[in-house]
Amino acid sequence: MYEFDLLMNGFATLAANPLAIFLSLVGVTLGIIIGALPGLTATMGVAILLPFTFGMDPVSGLLMISGVFFGGVYGGSVTAILLRIPGTPAAAATAMDGFELTKKGMAGVALGTATLSSFLGGTASIVVLIFMAPLLAGFALKFSASESFALAVFGLSIIASISGRSVIKGLIAGFLGLLIATVGMDPMDGFPRFTGGYTELFNVPFIPVMIGLFAAAEAFKSLEDPKVRLGMAAALGRIIPEWATYRRLLGTVARSTGLGVVIGIIPGAGADIAAYVAYNEAKRFSKTPENYGKGELAGVAACEAGANGCTGGALLTMLTLGIPGDAVTAVMLGALTLQGLQPGPLLFKEHAELVFTLFAGMLFCYVAMLVIGLGLLRVMGRVLQMPKSVLTPVILVLCIVGTYAINNSLFDIGIMLAAGVAGYFMQKWDFPASPVVLALIMGPMAEANFRRALSLSGGSYDFLYTRPITVVLLTIAILTLFLPLVKRWRSHRQETRRTDASSRLNQA
Amino acid sequence: MSNPPAGSERPGSSDDTGNAMPLTTKIANLVISVVLIAIAASAIAATGDFPRSMLATDVGAARFPIIHAGALILLCLILIANTLRTPTAPTATAKAQIGIAGYAGVALGMLATAGCIVAMEYVGYGVATAVYMAVIMALMGQRSPIWNPVLAVGVTALVYGVFHYALQVPLPVGSLFE
Repeated sequence: MYEFDLLMNGFATLAANPLAIFLSLVGVTLGIIIGALPGLTATMGVAILLPFTFGMDPVSGLLMISGVFFGGVYGGSVTAILLRIPGTPAAAATAMDGFELTKKGMAGVALGTATLSSFLGGTASIVVLIFMAPLLAGFALKFSASESFALAVFGLSIIASISGRSVIKGLIAGFLGLLIATVGMDPMDGFPRFTGGYTELFNVPFIPVMIGLFAAAEAFKSLEDPKVRLGMAAALGRIIPEWATYRRLLGTVARSTGLGVVIGIIPGAGADIAAYVAYNEAKRFSKTPENYGKGELAGVAACEAGANGCTGGALLTMLTLGIPGDAVTAVMLGALTLQGLQPGPLLFKEHAELVFTLFAGMLFCYVAMLVIGLGLLRVMGRVLQMPKSVLTPVILVLCIVGTYAINNSLFDIGIMLAAGVAGYFMQKWDFPASPVVLALIMGPMAEANFRRALSLSGGSYDFLYTRPITVVLLTIAILTLFLPLVKRWRSHRQETRRTDASSRLNQA
Repeated sequence: MSNPPAGSERPGSSDDTGNAMPLTTKIANLVISVVLIAIAASAIAATGDFPRSMLATDVGAARFPIIHAGALILLCLILIANTLRTPTAPTATAKAQIGIAGYAGVALGMLATAGCIVAMEYVGYGVATAVYMAVIMALMGQRSPIWNPVLAVGVTALVYGVFHYALQVPLPVGSLFE
């Protein structure tokens, strides 16, 4: 109960600091907007606001940054659902079912589900952070290169289940993504691969690829049919889902949050990986997995709970061990240091009051995100009322400007356009885009950690079967890859038998 | 975006006509597979120039690209075999395709985007984007001589305001104005 008392004190201290409360609200609002804009990620938002926090007291400054972090992770889902523009890499997973729901006229419920799930996932992860910090931080320390490699392989094995109708086409898209992911600096020796002398390609710019594959491709598709060019899209409709509907999603939200927290505490794995893994597990546990990818609310809930669950996990290792879980927490680590606070076990001993005030503030940030998010949805939903003849050019301009904003590079916009053209043809011929994005995220992580693990083991492949966590993760990966294939093969065989039997009956 | 545009009927799928596959899909599958095999093969060939790793325990820079490209070639060969094995659906059962005008609209939109990127380098964000927006609106059927320029300039200015002033993201000025 010691933590509970400290938390209550934290709430009291926060209540006496109206500036911190105000700045949290500003941070959350900015975070949602930044997350919703393509190309601007939570990392960038935190980095932009960092200089403004120098003169603030630690609680106010860190809470504003936390607000941007939480709002940014959630904000990506808004444009992913409404326009198939994933504002953040994690939202690419949300777009799979979210945009299908919008096409069915259920944009409001999809957005409401995303907001509620983000709130529940994020809040639960902060509660875990408060009460289980030391225990979970110890678990994170057991992750070395071989475990991170196994985690990346597990992530990649999801390709089979997000492949849509054709597993072969999904796998082709996945391996194409993996091949593209090898463009750039070799992770061990720094040798430039397939760059053709372009320094811009030294680090694969995967966000332009993602924006092109999802958003630009969709916009190009809108140019196809003159009959719908001037058409008005559907209204937002109901936002907060009915209790009976959302109650059925609670199990998925709880499971995804747990996965998000665990993935968040693993250094190097961020919200994007958490969203995809949570999506895959939700599909695996579902009684109607065939509905995923066609507009399944549980798919949206899983991605959002997973991605936001990741926030608490990432903060956990950052605060307790000084190891940032992802890029945002790396920037936040800098913010803490600038405020004169040294993350690590001593932080909880020497600055317990401050840390628990921050925790109370983070819980407040999530409540603020729920309220502001639901409030902004109606405003953001107005974009759906725009004629498509205006909406499509706006989407394309946002794609261009959002891509440029990442590195201030026109070259990146060219990559976005190439990905948009490729994405258009991929859509036309049923090659799914999500495996490409997943491979771009996981590919470099898999290669770098495999080669690191191999070097650490002196060139021996022992690490693949001697380290328990690695073995468990690789086993799950193999099951994840092959179970959908076996299921499809069995249903295909049953279908063939049924067809044969009915044709024999007809002949008789 | 609630109205799925024509052509969203997944021409690549073969489910609608039993196991049969429309001829256009078969051709697309074969062409895409051949192009991907060529890309993967040239990637494998390019790895020949990669140096050996300086660490004796490392597999080197070429190993992963070779594995990925090899798997891509294998999968494309499977797709080619599946496509050739699948019967062709009769023309009548193949779903309505996008007309020439539709494809021309898409091609012009892609060309306009490429033009906007090139123009942005010289005339900067403002001019390039405003003209680009007006062109895309015209392609989408919105051809008002008043509203097109007003909306194009208005949206361009709004996006500039949000990115340049609120988010401190500098947008290209253009070499002609620098």
